[in-house]
Amino acid sequence: MRVVVLVKEVPDLEAAVKVTGDGSGLEVEKRRGLNFFDEIAVEAALKLKESHGAVTAAVGASAGAGVEAMRRAVAMGIETPLLVDDPALDGADSLTIARALAAAVALEPTDLVIAGKQATDDEAGLVGPMVAEILGMPCATRAIGLEVEDGSVLVTREIDGGEEVVRLPLPALITAEKGLAEPRVPGMAGTMKAMKVQIERTDLAALGVQAHPVLPVVAYRTVGQRPPVTMIEGEPADAAAELVRLLRQEAKVL
Amino acid sequence: MNGLYIICEARGEEFRPATYELLAAARAITAATGGEVTAVVAGPEVTLKAKLEGLAHRVVTLTAPELTPFSADSWVDALAAAIGAGAPRAVLFGEGGRTREVMPRLAARLGAWALSNCVDLRVNGGGADAVGGSTGAGATDGLGGASAAGAAAADGGSALEISRPVYGGKAYVTNLVPADGLLLAAFRPHSFDAGMAPAGLSTAAEEVAAPVAVSRVELVERREGGPRKADLTEAAVVVTGGRGMKGPENFGLLEDLAAALEGAVGYSRALVDAGLAEHAYQVGKSGKTVSPTLYIACGVSGAIHHIMGMDTAKVVVAINTDPTAPIFEYADYGVVGDVLQVLPALTEQVRAATS
Ligand SMILES: Cc1cc2nc3c(=O)[nH]c(=O)nc-3n(C[C@H](O)[C@H](O)[C@H](O)COP(=O)(O)OP(=O)(O)OC[C@H]3O[C@@H](n4cnc5c(N)ncnc54)[C@H](O)[C@@H]3O)c2cc1C
Repeated sequence: MRVVVLVKEVPDLEAAVKVTGDGSGLEVEKRRGLNFFDEIAVEAALKLKESHGAVTAAVGASAGAGVEAMRRAVAMGIETPLLVDDPALDGADSLTIARALAAAVALEPTDLVIAGKQATDDEAGLVGPMVAEILGMPCATRAIGLEVEDGSVLVTREIDGGEEVVRLPLPALITAEKGLAEPRVPGMAGTMKAMKVQIERTDLAALGVQAHPVLPVVAYRTVGQRPPVTMIEGEPADAAAELVRLLRQEAKVL
Repeated sequence: MNGLYIICEARGEEFRPATYELLAAARAITAATGGEVTAVVAGPEVTLKAKLEGLAHRVVTLTAPELTPFSADSWVDALAAAIGAGAPRAVLFGEGGRTREVMPRLAARLGAWALSNCVDLRVNGGGADAVGGSTGAGATDGLGGASAAGAAAADGGSALEISRPVYGGKAYVTNLVPADGLLLAAFRPHSFDAGMAPAGLSTAAEEVAAPVAVSRVELVERREGGPRKADLTEAAVVVTGGRGMKGPENFGLLEDLAAALEGAVGYSRALVDAGLAEHAYQVGKSGKTVSPTLYIACGVSGAIHHIMGMDTAKVVVAINTDPTAPIFEYADYGVVGDVLQVLPALTEQVRAATS
């Protein structure tokens, strides 16, 4: 059984983000790491390595980056890292990324693909299901439980307003929600291995992938600041009454 | 083509508010750009189509039996056929679990652009000032009317611009919707005002009966929560409890206030990690993103990971004993006080004011 994890390198959640003077670009502090939900996906794959002897791989797609994320995946225990590294992936459309990842996954017969629910930078959640569609695999998003049985996976997943259990025939793709697995902290041996690992690389031409055009950007903006907070003083009952008055008369939301 | 398609979505016997919001935005935009508004209803929702009378130029119903109950496999097939036949400029979805299953796969199938988390769609330079997101948060204020009008559609047609937060809301990006090519976009609830454009269109009906695949995903079991809990991301009002609520014995105070405001209850990660609340109701970076009209943070400190999940709320109220808590920097109204005392008083006042 081969399990492939889709990994994305993203800026740290705390990384500073600044819009350049004329609004034409973004400056993002260069503190990067493996996407929060992808780390959960890696852990879920490693569980299958331990329980089912699965062979694990990680694939990523980016332009001149992604090594940090790959090293983290390897340090945790992923055996084969593969990076699609191509200048055309800089700021690429989600569909281009998905096509690249799908082609990289398809280099070898694969039983299960696990992606994160979404990346923490754009929170779009597009690439996972796109890869499923391109590979013709059934897809279950937001998995919080996973069991592999003969030729199928039983997935517990969050849906709007509840949970459901579904069965998908393999090969299939699932996306990891928080709760699917608790990512391990890599040990010394893993970290050493990750430092030395040779990350295999390929590019769009080698994979035969055609880029999808990017949407033109009109401008970037910083978040409109909220007006300064209005502090409401007084005993609980008085403060509550004043708050309700303001919510009705000033904010007009009641 | 200037047409806009809206993929309608219901909760029970009524369409989601987002459906009406998107229809209104589409009416306002097509009034300026020309083109028609097409409402698409599929599967179990077809029975509700009468509610769309007057709200769109056309209602397209997809009636293949495989579409009920919802399954992504069948829906992608049916929607791909309907969209392919109509060749709209953009297809608008309400953000949510179902959209996140269907929209990316449709984009891959149709070779389209897809954007999640959108909060605004507007005509650039078309003079249609009325067209713009009503989303609050001052967040979208000043997003439209961006300067690069030079990039506007070369054919002299009016350009559409679409905006969404990136990096957890630390910045917003506005993209141009090209006149050629197809865009699929998912909008957060409350991005538009359902009353922003007049209704009263004469609505034509059409049925698309394309063959649809049977789902490869077998449903084994479905557990749905209560109606109040179900609506966290949808709710117009969200009342969130943090560690300052102490323990579950006090969560009733949150529920009472939420009930009085017809809202939903959320929790900070501190309470979820302590095993006191379910992850499905966690607000923040690693939980749900909410974008309500009113957000009330009770005993929440305001860590950036929490803020990322609620910063596009229109009006934010914070209640905290610590006047220096960071949450006050993200709030419109602040009360320094003990939640255990302020919440019951607030619920009482809300009940009195709204009854
Ligand atoms: C990768 C990552 C992802 C994360 N994702 C999320 C997420 O999705 N959602 C999330 O919420 N957090 C998330 N966090 C955690 C986040 O950083 C904070 O730790 C968390 O939000 C704190 O929760 P809290 O505000 O309830 O608790 P605390 O930070 O402990 O704050 C409690 C507050 O309650 C106040 N208080 C105490 N008693 C009272 C009282 N009687 N009345 C009124 N106020 C009182 C205190 O003054 C304090 O401000 C994430 C962290 C990481 C690293």
